Amino acid sequence: MKSPNTFKIENRLKNTSVGKGGLTRGEAIEAAVLQIEMVRAPTLAHIDAALATIALMREGMQAGPNPGALSRMYDAANQIVATAALFDLRELGEAAYCLCELVSRFQAGGKFNLKLIEVHTDGLRLLREPDSHSAAHRQAVLVGLNQVAASVA
Amino acid sequence: MSEQRLNLSKTNVLILQNNATELDILGQMFIGFAVKTIRKCLNVEEADTAVRTGTYDLIVVDADLPDNAGLDFIAAVRRQADSPNKLVPILLTCGHTARAAIRRAINSGANFVVAKPITPKTMFDRVVWLARDEREFVESQSYVGPDRRRKAFGPPSGQKGRREGDLSVEVGAASGPDMSQSMIDAMLNPKKAVA
Repeated sequence: MKSPNTFKIENRLKNTSVGKGGLTRGEAIEAAVLQIEMVRAPTLAHIDAALATIALMREGMQAGPNPGALSRMYDAANQIVATAALFDLRELGEAAYCLCELVSRFQAGGKFNLKLIEVHTDGLRLLREPDSHSAAHRQAVLVGLNQVAASVA
Repeated sequence: MSEQRLNLSKTNVLILQNNATELDILGQMFIGFAVKTIRKCLNVEEADTAVRTGTYDLIVVDADLPDNAGLDFIAAVRRQADSPNKLVPILLTCGHTARAAIRRAINSGANFVVAKPITPKTMFDRVVWLARDEREFVESQSYVGPDRRRKAFGPPSGQKGRREGDLSVEVGAASGPDMSQSMIDAMLNPKKAVA
């Protein structure tokens, strides 16, 4: 077997970006936040569509587990993980992460429990409207969801 | 000390993401960072065409593409002979990811793996880190990409190291008198003391 070949390289990103001018960290972040704000409405619509998909998949599993529905539920929750925190829905994103973890554990262990999924979908619905609930209430929901997901070995 | 500046106005960025929403968010983020040339791709076929026909200074790839297509794309870029993009810094973005998939992500040849949600702060710090990345490149039968050992490079800018003994990236003002030349000579070329 050939031994690994190791060599120094020219970092093209460094060459194009490190020099005179440009933005400070603060300026760049502020400008990026403003730019992202421009896609708030379509992103919130995307999050609501993902929540609707999750609810639909849950309904589809009333009769029993469905690997395809679980997979779609996982993908939809993962999209909420990626986007919610950028638009003041950090706790919704964390709840979606819990649902991903739960589904991942079901998939890995060949297990299924609709009640545990329903707890998560109820939590997601609640955290989509964070202003309607106290911070303590939201935190308690998150702690509970984490415990539920972790309970599946 | 003045704040560090980063000029990305001449940087070409390729972004490959799993869905249009995440693609738009990252695109807006890089516009905010003053990047002028951004190529946005929603699938590997588009991205593959882009790397064969253009030259990029940074590639951002989604690990959440179906069937690990993002990881396969990175491995393919790293193994493209004579491609100007073969050595380009690649940032891999991950949502919820199983531990085994993280290992696979690191072994794909990406320079850095960053967890979603990706805020502008996180992305800016990672880009700065990538711009300062001086790791060597490794080519072997099983792996092509930056040297995965990074302990000599320090933590990302703005973050404390995870080890207790990690030194700060910033070098502060001198805290004692300068060393004399004889002290420096003795340190560089120590000799046994003779009784």
